[in-house]
Amino acid sequence: MDRELLVVGVNHQSAPVGVREGLALTDQKVDEMNRRLCDVGGVDEAAVVSTCNRVEVIACASDGDATCGRIADVFRAQQPAIGPAIDAMLYTHRDREAVRHVFRVASSLDSMVVGEPQILGQLKDFYARAASVGSTGTVLHRCFHKAFSVAKRVRTETAIAARAVSVGSAAVELAARIFDRLEDKTTMLIGAGEMGELAARQLVASGVGGLMVTNRTFDRAVELARDFGGTPIPFERFPRYLPMADIVIGATAATGFILTKDAIQLAVKERKGKPIFCVDVSVPRNFDPQINDVDNVYLYDVDDLSEVAEDNLSERAREADKAEKIVLAEVESFWRWFSQLEVVPTIVALRSKLEVIRSTELERARAEMGSLTSRQSAALDSMSEAIINKILHDPITRLKANDRREELFLVDALRALFAVDDSEES
Amino acid sequence: MALVLFASSLALYLLATGAFVTHFMMSRDAARRVALGALTAGFGLSTLALLARFGEVASLRSSHDQLAILAWFLVAVYLLLQFRYRLGVVGALVSPLAFLLTLSAYIVYSGSENLSERLGSAWLPAHVAPAFLGYAILVVASCLSAIYLLQERQLKAKRRNGLAPRLPSLETLDDLNYRCVAWGFALFTIGIVTGAVLAKVVWGTFWSWEPVQILSVMAWLLYALLLQTRSIGWRGRRAATLTLVGFVLLVVSFLSLNFGLSHGSAVG
Repeated sequence: MDRELLVVGVNHQSAPVGVREGLALTDQKVDEMNRRLCDVGGVDEAAVVSTCNRVEVIACASDGDATCGRIADVFRAQQPAIGPAIDAMLYTHRDREAVRHVFRVASSLDSMVVGEPQILGQLKDFYARAASVGSTGTVLHRCFHKAFSVAKRVRTETAIAARAVSVGSAAVELAARIFDRLEDKTTMLIGAGEMGELAARQLVASGVGGLMVTNRTFDRAVELARDFGGTPIPFERFPRYLPMADIVIGATAATGFILTKDAIQLAVKERKGKPIFCVDVSVPRNFDPQINDVDNVYLYDVDDLSEVAEDNLSERAREADKAEKIVLAEVESFWRWFSQLEVVPTIVALRSKLEVIRSTELERARAEMGSLTSRQSAALDSMSEAIINKILHDPITRLKANDRREELFLVDALRALFAVDDSEES
Repeated sequence: MALVLFASSLALYLLATGAFVTHFMMSRDAARRVALGALTAGFGLSTLALLARFGEVASLRSSHDQLAILAWFLVAVYLLLQFRYRLGVVGALVSPLAFLLTLSAYIVYSGSENLSERLGSAWLPAHVAPAFLGYAILVVASCLSAIYLLQERQLKAKRRNGLAPRLPSLETLDDLNYRCVAWGFALFTIGIVTGAVLAKVVWGTFWSWEPVQILSVMAWLLYALLLQTRSIGWRGRRAATLTLVGFVLLVVSFLSLNFGLSHGSAVG
């Protein structure tokens, strides 16, 4: 009838990071919110998703308008400082658009970096959280599972994630063009800038063997080194360790060049010409650009890396078009299922199916029996009708007596068991 | 029969060349598989062609056999490395060379031995076989070097040819280049020593200032330098460039050998 699927939230496009930070929820808060939403009248099912790029509520509710308003209130309460400005940042998707949104998020089409795979895992986690507190039911269950399978289809049928598109993964991709394997290579991270940390993390995740960390504040170097399982080295002495480094990442806040052509030349000489890959992710730049002229030294600054990433990104954009088509087709198939998930139409459909069976069988029986009196014929009619009504009596009573969550589950089961799939209209 | 096999292998090498170039330009993985298949099949056929005339081939007395065995060595070395490492694109350089060598062998085929009778010594195969295997390995090293320079240039210029397939990493190319030069150098050394002995046996002198001798010794010195300077850090681009200089010397010396510049005034 008026059951609706809807999504309300903010993402990296609609709201700046400061606002998203304020809205982001801890795991505990997520559970709490899931429970609270379901206690509200009219909300049948709800699942909260909260990552650094998005905070949104996916819900199935019988009163869409009121529910949207209520969820928006929750967001407003979370960030009172912004005031009404938050309304402009909140988006609402309803019906097919809501389903499409969930599928696009799962397929990483709505990600900051289209095609990055983390979001699928995060979505699975948040679905599990909601399921564990019992705030999901038949609709969201089906919606999420469908979303996961859509994401898988997109991943296997398009090349959306084939190439590196973040600065960090671009660095890894380049390292693979210089080095045969990373296991026996050592990375030196100079400075504690966020980008540097990210690049180092990507390299470590890609299997780089050793990591040296240096920072002007030695304590910070120790801390980072512990975090990565690396070795801290004193900042003043990092040039002496340079020959041991195959990859050097610059991420300090220094305004001058901390790595000069002379220093790198010396290091390469000591390494007997073994290549050094210099990654300068700081702005202003930490490494003298002339370093790139030194034999066997390859310098990429943050712009170069972004360019590599963007090249790959445009390749992804082409693949994203294919992915959108897959998503649309899957939305339709989900929608067909969802729009039939109503008690009355289901009963009507079931009745008409049984009626068809009844009349066919009746015809056959009459043909066997030869000529019947009108009383006999009427008796046959009413008997077969009575059988159908009696069989249907219990299921229909149960359908109507239960609460909405249970009802949807039973409707879904009934449709599956009796293979009722013609829609309300037909 | 042997010639039919030989001609078929020639056709397959041409197919491999075309497919490798397609792979190289357009990054079609199917093309790479076709290329490797054709090259391997061509190699199999040329192996049969050589085996069919093993008695004559083993003496290595005709230009045809020498060219054929050189092509065979070249493809053998490449396939061996391809099997061990993924060097797909290097085949785009190796297979046209294999094709050209096989084509020359096919053209000069005369069915008879055309070296002077005087050279009919057991020292001839002992000279030609290691020298040519050394040549083949050094040619593969040169192909690796060329790909190295391409990859290095792209990395320095921060460019990537969008469609081009991934080239092997600099480390892989440099490492294999070094190993190929080391092996090629060792075999080349044996070839030069047995060549000198052969000259002594046939002409009574170890050294006669022939172009091929001079060029070979120059190439030998260059490769010796290349191996020696690696320990002081001449690797990567410099090593690759030197390997290519060596390649030029090898080609010139090889041409002088096969196209008339004496060598016992008998080879032609």
